[in-house]
Amino acid sequence: MSVVISTTDVCRFFGDDDETLVKAVDHVSIEIERGEFTAIVGPSGSGKTTLLHLIGGLDNPTSGSVNLSGTNIAAMSGTALSDFRRDHIGFIFQAYNLIPVFSAEENIEYIMLLQGIDAAERKRRVTEILKQVGMEGLADRRPNKLSGGQQQRVAIARAMVSHPEIILADEPTANLDSRTGIALLDLMKELNERHNMTFVFSTHDEKIMKRASRLIHMQDGKIVLDEKK
Amino acid sequence: MQTASLAFRNLFRNTRRTVLTVMLIGFSLTALITFDGVMRGMITLMVENITGTLTGEAQIHRVGYRENLDVDFYIDNADEIEERLQQDASLRAYAPRVISGAMISSSYNVSAGMVFGVDAELEQGISQVREAVVSGEYLTGDDSELLIGKPLAELLEVGLGDRIVLTLSEANNGELAQALFRVSGIIEFGLRELDESFTFINIAAARQVLAMTDQQTHEYALSFIAPLNMENPNNALLEELNSGGVEALNWLDLNPDISLILQLSSYSSLLIGAILFLLASLGVINSMFMSIYERIYEFGVIKAIGTRPKDIRKLILFEAFFIALLSCVMGIALGLAIGSYTSTNGISFGGELEFSGIAFNNAILSEFHPIQFTQFPIYVVLLTVIAAIYPAAFAARIIPSDALQRSL
Repeated sequence: MSVVISTTDVCRFFGDDDETLVKAVDHVSIEIERGEFTAIVGPSGSGKTTLLHLIGGLDNPTSGSVNLSGTNIAAMSGTALSDFRRDHIGFIFQAYNLIPVFSAEENIEYIMLLQGIDAAERKRRVTEILKQVGMEGLADRRPNKLSGGQQQRVAIARAMVSHPEIILADEPTANLDSRTGIALLDLMKELNERHNMTFVFSTHDEKIMKRASRLIHMQDGKIVLDEKK
Repeated sequence: MQTASLAFRNLFRNTRRTVLTVMLIGFSLTALITFDGVMRGMITLMVENITGTLTGEAQIHRVGYRENLDVDFYIDNADEIEERLQQDASLRAYAPRVISGAMISSSYNVSAGMVFGVDAELEQGISQVREAVVSGEYLTGDDSELLIGKPLAELLEVGLGDRIVLTLSEANNGELAQALFRVSGIIEFGLRELDESFTFINIAAARQVLAMTDQQTHEYALSFIAPLNMENPNNALLEELNSGGVEALNWLDLNPDISLILQLSSYSSLLIGAILFLLASLGVINSMFMSIYERIYEFGVIKAIGTRPKDIRKLILFEAFFIALLSCVMGIALGLAIGSYTSTNGISFGGELEFSGIAFNNAILSEFHPIQFTQFPIYVVLLTVIAAIYPAAFAARIIPSDALQRSL
């Protein structure tokens, strides 16, 4: 198994002086291998979302390095970082955050347009991924015509359609009812196993923890427990 | 194309804000089109009044005459000049004039004024003396006829048929000369200076009183087939006539003060446009920022999934571009509607108005001009897009993690 995510002594501090300094992520070093279904867990304010953002290149570390597939993304910025995210990482957010003026199909297609994939291939992939996430027949619907679970399915499809190596999911089930959350987790687990994609969650959700192959426990910005099942 | 499509659809996410922004910019364009149309109409009216009342579009004098209006500074080769004028195909009309200061006396009062000796027939092609007659008759050629301004007539307490004595200084020798005239017509131009001090007599009678020959004339007023206007104030004939001690000047050179006023008037559209669009631009910036802040989480997301900063900039600029296009459609439609009305019905001052020696007796008819519907909308689009550069740069700089946390 190869390492796809590795952080070395990564820190993210907020504030300028000792009184206001918040150590959101404090010298965290982890390695995550390809195909892992990992959950970063911990109480609110423990730094799990910040760590997820650092891994996804959504934020720059105060110090340390973040390597994704051998590339130190902490040293990248601007267009290069955007392109890296586009080609290597898929994101799933708590609030789904689909583009409201686009249909489900267009939301999924958007990232492939950014990648410059031709129309026929886009169409093929959209049809395939909609089928995988159980959204056939709803391709033309805009987000406001979809339920929360359906929107999150589209968000999962959007994250996966570009065939990224890593999927980062920030509290993906937080806004969903229990049944829908379980269904989506099962779907993600299935996709993880089928495509050998690496999933990293930031969550409090017991359901995710139960299905995760690895749990990284955080508290006060540090890893306090790293358990592999 | 996807960015353009997304930008266009984004306009209708908050329709009320888009409509308000479009109205702000659209009304600014309408205001600019209307103001420019009215200014153009006003300038046309001013030019028509300046050139049509008495001055003509150009005048020929002996060099030095205009400095003191000295009767001795006459053109003494009238035949040659008139022959040249008659040959010129660009000329619509000309009129010779003999002009002198005079003491104008009646049985009851006396006043200083100007006497214009005019050719009754040719003068009709140049000035509005005939149209200004409010009672009595226009000149018919009789030596004793005299037209007098209404206020001057009231001052002198004369009416039609009453006697007026003109006391003038003869040309060449300065001897005083007097002649008796009878009021044949009362005139009213609507211009105080003309109405209070000008009298018109037949040119032959004027020459006789001033002891001038038929070859001697103080002034030729000219009118051209293609009117000399602000954009095209010169004519080859004028350049040709400017020789041998004679000067031929267009109406702008003859009235430098008015020329300046007209130039300032033409800049006023630019100034008003600049003010209007500065305000509209601030509205655009405000609206774009509101739109960005409303969607900040979404910008965080689309940036997170790989949208480049330049594509986000492009998205905002496209939104501004589409807002500008919609504003232009609205602004042009309203501008056309208002312009159509004001160009037909005019804008009336509710009476006669005199400004800087120019009479506005008629309603101002606003004028359409191609630049109102080509250049102005292009300026609107450019300025709107330029105004959106700052919000676009702001959106492009959004850090995804900040944006995602801000809304959570």
